Amino acid sequence: MIEFHNVTKRFEGGYEALSNVSLKLDEGHMAFITGHSGAGKSTLLKIIALIEKPTRGQALLNRVNLNTMPRRRVPYIRRNIGIIFQDHQLLFDRNVFDNVSLPLHIQGYRPQEIAKRTRAALDKVGLLHKEKSLPITLSGGEQQRVGIARAVVHKPMLLLADEPTGNLDPELSREIMQIFVDFNQVGVTVLVASHDLDLIDDLDKPRITLNRGKLILNDLEDIAQEADGGWQ
Amino acid sequence: MAGSNIRRKKLATSNRISAYLLHHLQSLMFSLRKIYAAPATTIMTVAVIGITLSLPGGFYLFLKNIDAISGDFRSSSQISLFLDLELSEKQARALDKKISKMELVDSTRFISRDKSLEEFRQDSGFGKSIDTLSSNPLPHTIIVEPGEADTFAVRNLLNSLQAMPEVKIAKLDTEWLERLYTIIEIARRSVVIITVLFSCAVLLIIGNTIRLDIQNRYQEIIVTKLIGATDAFIRRPFLYGGVWYGLLGGIISWLIVEIGYLAISGPLGRLNLLYKSDMNLITFSFHDFIILITSSTLLGLAGSWIAVARHLNQIEPT
Repeated sequence: MIEFHNVTKRFEGGYEALSNVSLKLDEGHMAFITGHSGAGKSTLLKIIALIEKPTRGQALLNRVNLNTMPRRRVPYIRRNIGIIFQDHQLLFDRNVFDNVSLPLHIQGYRPQEIAKRTRAALDKVGLLHKEKSLPITLSGGEQQRVGIARAVVHKPMLLLADEPTGNLDPELSREIMQIFVDFNQVGVTVLVASHDLDLIDDLDKPRITLNRGKLILNDLEDIAQEADGGWQ
Repeated sequence: MAGSNIRRKKLATSNRISAYLLHHLQSLMFSLRKIYAAPATTIMTVAVIGITLSLPGGFYLFLKNIDAISGDFRSSSQISLFLDLELSEKQARALDKKISKMELVDSTRFISRDKSLEEFRQDSGFGKSIDTLSSNPLPHTIIVEPGEADTFAVRNLLNSLQAMPEVKIAKLDTEWLERLYTIIEIARRSVVIITVLFSCAVLLIIGNTIRLDIQNRYQEIIVTKLIGATDAFIRRPFLYGGVWYGLLGGIISWLIVEIGYLAISGPLGRLNLLYKSDMNLITFSFHDFIILITSSTLLGLAGSWIAVARHLNQIEPT
């Protein structure tokens, strides 16, 4: 599903967010990216979401090269990805239902279909009773769950989450992570960036650790040395 | 992207088209709701557009009225015939009768030498000086009123009258008319220039309003881009916003011009009484109204298109 071959991302001014990173995440798998803030977790996710382009190396999504993706095709690639942000990125001028149904509107679903799928997604995150509420009236945990519902409403093949539990207490964080695990169990590929090591330890999923842009731990198949290590 | 292909196939083509039309309708309603939600901003923008467009609109109407009035003048051009001094009054009257029966001639008026002198004595104030003249220097005069005829036919009539041996000078009183037409032509071109300039102003006003609108909805644009919205999808509500501004601005400008002409119609009525004329004020016809509204709407669309093309592409998630 995701392949990085010697990917380097250098920003203007010479700051290197990713240095020579190679990794491979197969379809239907779930992994965590860990590391201190500034280690390059977000940059890695942004390259997959076509927000940033690698300076060097190749990034592939489903064997499609992301480096050379023309601008007009970007939206169609993104429709296969559900993205969850630490700060939710909800639109505060419309209610929960309208926030969650936005990806379906964009993809041109019919109104009946939109209503059905939106309610299904809200039900999955336990917020069906809040569909008419405005996001501002919800707690942080609820807002994050609205963000998750919006990310999964169009049934993407890949879920990316950047510090989804950043502002939540441990109990809520566990609930959120469990939602990701549940999605993975029904076949969705999931990649979560988090520094919440205690939580990750409990979940028993492969881990990628970055330090100052360098891969220092990779539980996934190691494609950098062309070794046949597989799951370690 | 095997998964997406399967999913896309599930949406039949007819569904896609109806969903596309539905989104157009939704964008239309969304932009209308936004206008409704921020009445103060909308009213100000629309008022500025309305006032701006009312200027060329008003000038156009003014020109249309002048044109109508000058059309009346065109048919009222007169030919003055100054006859040979040797001609007796009897001969002159016979000629007057002959001319009045000519084709193209509507009516004639005969002014004898003595009457001309009498009129001149009274009107000019040179009474005493005229008394010192030994003989009357003025000729018999015939004023010819051509019937309904174009300028060319009137010129032909003038030539044939000039050719008569009894006629010393035939004069068509059109010089002032030609001056008037030149002035009208200048006014007409000025209206074109004003229209072009003020249309550009409207383009800029709408462009700027849409630009601010784009800035205000920065976050929304970022989010929709991140979840796979195409540029066309994001563009649509802004374009409809521009269309609404243009349409409402056009209606306001129409109202302004109509009210302005209502205000003028009072004094004009009095002027009509004083001049015993029956000038009727021409206002916008239905045709004019449609043209005004259509052009202002198109200006709105063009203005928002410029803003969207310039600013929307610059907004990318980081």
